[in-house]
Amino acid sequence: MLLAILLAGYIVYLDFQVRQQFTGKRWSLPARVYARPLELYTGLELNAEQFVTELQALHYRPVLSPREAGQFSRNKNELHLISRPFDFWDGQQAPANVRVTFSAGKLAGLTDASSGRALSLLRLDPVLVGSFYPAHNEDRVLLQLDEVPVSLTDALIVIEDRDFFSHHGISPAAIARALYANIRAGGVVQGGSTLTQQLVKNFFLSSERSLTRKLNEAIMSLLLEWHYDKDEILEAYLNEVYLGQDGNRAIHGFGLASYFYFERPLAELSIDQMALLVAMVKGPSYYNPRRHPERATARRNLVLDVMAGLELITTEESARAKARKLGVSDYQRKAINTFPAFLDLVRRQLQRDYRDEDITSEGLSIFTTLDPQVQWQLEHMLGSRLDGLERERGMNAGTLQGAAVVTSVQGGEVLALAGGRDPAFAGFNRALDAHRQVGSLLKPAVYLTALEQPQHYTLATLLDDSPLTFTARNGVVWKPGNYDRKNHGNVPLYQALAHSYNVSTARLGLDLGIEPIIKTLRRLGVEQQLNPYPSLVLGAVEMSPLQVTHMYQTFAGGGFRTPLRAINAVLAADKTPLQRYQLSVQSAIEPAANYLINTAMRFAMREGTGRSIYQSLPASQDVAGKTGTTDDLRDSWFAGFTGDRLGVVWIGRDDNKSTGLTGSSGALRVWRDLFTRFNNPGWVQPAVEGVEYHWIDPKSGSLADAGCQDAIQLPFITGSGPQQQAPCVKEKQALPDPVDWFKELFQ
Amino acid sequence: MKLASVLRVLVAALLLSIHGCSTVSTQQVPTPVVEQGQPLSAQQPAIKYQAPGYEPAPGTTTAVATNKQTPAVVALLQQAERQANDGDLESAAASLERAIRIDPRNAVLWHHLATVRLSQGEPMQAEQLASKSNSLAPGNYAQQSRNWLLIAQARRQLHNAAGAAAAEQRARELGAR
Repeated sequence: MLLAILLAGYIVYLDFQVRQQFTGKRWSLPARVYARPLELYTGLELNAEQFVTELQALHYRPVLSPREAGQFSRNKNELHLISRPFDFWDGQQAPANVRVTFSAGKLAGLTDASSGRALSLLRLDPVLVGSFYPAHNEDRVLLQLDEVPVSLTDALIVIEDRDFFSHHGISPAAIARALYANIRAGGVVQGGSTLTQQLVKNFFLSSERSLTRKLNEAIMSLLLEWHYDKDEILEAYLNEVYLGQDGNRAIHGFGLASYFYFERPLAELSIDQMALLVAMVKGPSYYNPRRHPERATARRNLVLDVMAGLELITTEESARAKARKLGVSDYQRKAINTFPAFLDLVRRQLQRDYRDEDITSEGLSIFTTLDPQVQWQLEHMLGSRLDGLERERGMNAGTLQGAAVVTSVQGGEVLALAGGRDPAFAGFNRALDAHRQVGSLLKPAVYLTALEQPQHYTLATLLDDSPLTFTARNGVVWKPGNYDRKNHGNVPLYQALAHSYNVSTARLGLDLGIEPIIKTLRRLGVEQQLNPYPSLVLGAVEMSPLQVTHMYQTFAGGGFRTPLRAINAVLAADKTPLQRYQLSVQSAIEPAANYLINTAMRFAMREGTGRSIYQSLPASQDVAGKTGTTDDLRDSWFAGFTGDRLGVVWIGRDDNKSTGLTGSSGALRVWRDLFTRFNNPGWVQPAVEGVEYHWIDPKSGSLADAGCQDAIQLPFITGSGPQQQAPCVKEKQALPDPVDWFKELFQ
Repeated sequence: MKLASVLRVLVAALLLSIHGCSTVSTQQVPTPVVEQGQPLSAQQPAIKYQAPGYEPAPGTTTAVATNKQTPAVVALLQQAERQANDGDLESAAASLERAIRIDPRNAVLWHHLATVRLSQGEPMQAEQLASKSNSLAPGNYAQQSRNWLLIAQARRQLHNAAGAAAAEQRARELGAR
């Protein structure tokens, strides 16, 4: 009696455990991090090679004629593919059967393959670039039962538990069969475990082989079957079963195993591949198809034979499937995350909104702004240019380090990020954490502060570049010098910035006052501590490449500050939208003043410290930018932008010793290598209102006319043009009206 | 402003932009007489030095300048319109952001994004986005006028009556040009 009560109590206890854990069972699912989806449309800048690279990163398979999602064929510049369906933040993208043609570096045609109708737009599924795992390193791609091919569940049941749909959790017939086999063999050779028992074992129990455990397993299996229907148990099994090991990452469930062994979703597997996965259930290590292909093949074929014997497939299908190779992808001990530096940024942005355990265990889908095309180019260019610089200068290989950020100009989306020269290294992230003196990169803030006072300063204002000695109130003497150790007399403001003259900049900064310059920097989004010393105007402030990017983003964005975003949206595990990171802008600089500072930075590229950019960029390419070099050539910087992309590059050494590089002999060359690969149409900042053009004599800063030698056209904030005429204007005439295209256009 | 009426304005504006019309019927904006994208050659000063001082004709670098949206942008505008109609404003915003990624200097897209943000109860961001649209539409007074009307609505939501009145005044002036 007492025994019965105790047993009943024990069963109630187990029952509680089973229900508690099964109902509440939440697999900890790592967050999946995706690159931006590639949007296909006519006119997109992309060539066939780049497109194929993207398809390969998506594990689309080249075939003769695509029949299923995830396949493509290529005939020179024409591709035919069937895209995969995908759940995006704003709904599901349906699969599409399309032809894509390329011409002259652009997508020239996008048509529906069956009807031949032109399509306006197709969003591909995004490349998976990494995952954030929980500490115990279990990984899974969670599946619902209806997502699992019926052939796979059929095969699983006939191989592992033929009576699954009729038993109540344990199968006496199976146990008897196993017992008989074991007695005959004189040891344990066969298990009589049902799928339910296997699941219970994985879920609740240790792997020890004892009678108590067997008893618990049996009771709990019965309880599980009592409370839950077969489909729920089967679904849990499909997601829980252990199918392999990738370093310290455990491969659980058929969903992930399909990616791990075949690099494609379960739904795209052929019958022989499904049979192989089922074959491995018995012993993922013993039947590891990469290490023991013969064993794996033999057991796969056994599975196929059983399936044919039960007429789940025809004998011919079975024969054909058995003739196939295992088809397992090459094992690459991949760094789990392809772009660790970028993922580091993603994780930091996520940590503002989510707890760490949510990031690693809630199965979030994270849609980032990463453009793999830009990222691949950046990694390649940075590495090869640093190698080249070291060779050129006889430095030991590995002396130099570098970091870079590339963003979209209007949206502030981080397209690519390099945290060092080794893209696979997941350690110190220089793009985020190397805080270095920025040197002349700061100068545009000084000149902008001046240009925002059009009654005092214009691009044509002459600045004094003669030697300067400044004694601060505390008696400290400051004697800034130019990089070329020369002084240049009176220079027009735009040239002082273009040539990055220190002396005239220092004098300008002192005239303006440090506080207004700090205010300007704040408006540009510079947030760190700034010391109000005169040396600030020459860049005595430490910033990371990402912070510099934020500052230049405002110039590039036409005077609108845009928060840099690495994430677009986050979906919960059930694909419901959790959060969007919206595009937002904040007006920070009047567009007209911003236009003037951008013009000066375009002169820096055409005539100043950045002019070597045009050694490889076409003259038609409009670029604005600024070089930066710090004392003893410790840091080589370049920040530059075109109409659509902004790039910031830093080169230095981790020990902070001299690199022997200026901004233009180092960082600028990385930038140039990268941006030569882009086709950047359009102007840095198309014309704005409130600006008029005058012909100017750069020597005097006075009004000229088109006939004057060396005369150039400069933009001025309306009404701020010079009043004096240069001597070269032959006949003194009434001051010409400024050129105002808008008025002319719309009169 | 009631959500429903904001939505009506939004949908009307989206529809109009898709069909290439340049007026907004629900608002008091006179039909502009200017066409965008006119060549400039006649008035352009002789250029002897093509330094950064030389500029292209204003507005020739974006699709909107020629009042022609690319098919991809039109498709996304239509999608945004559907989503807004269904009350799914955040998806409408996401579609507009996709369109902006394709054509980042298209002032029409920034204007619509501003409209969606206003409907979502984000008047401050709506005003900023409308200003951004203005900065991308130099010389396009009709577009600027629409932006200023939107800024007026945003300011009214923020209980800034004087600012709203000034913005409306600005919209009228621009509409009359």
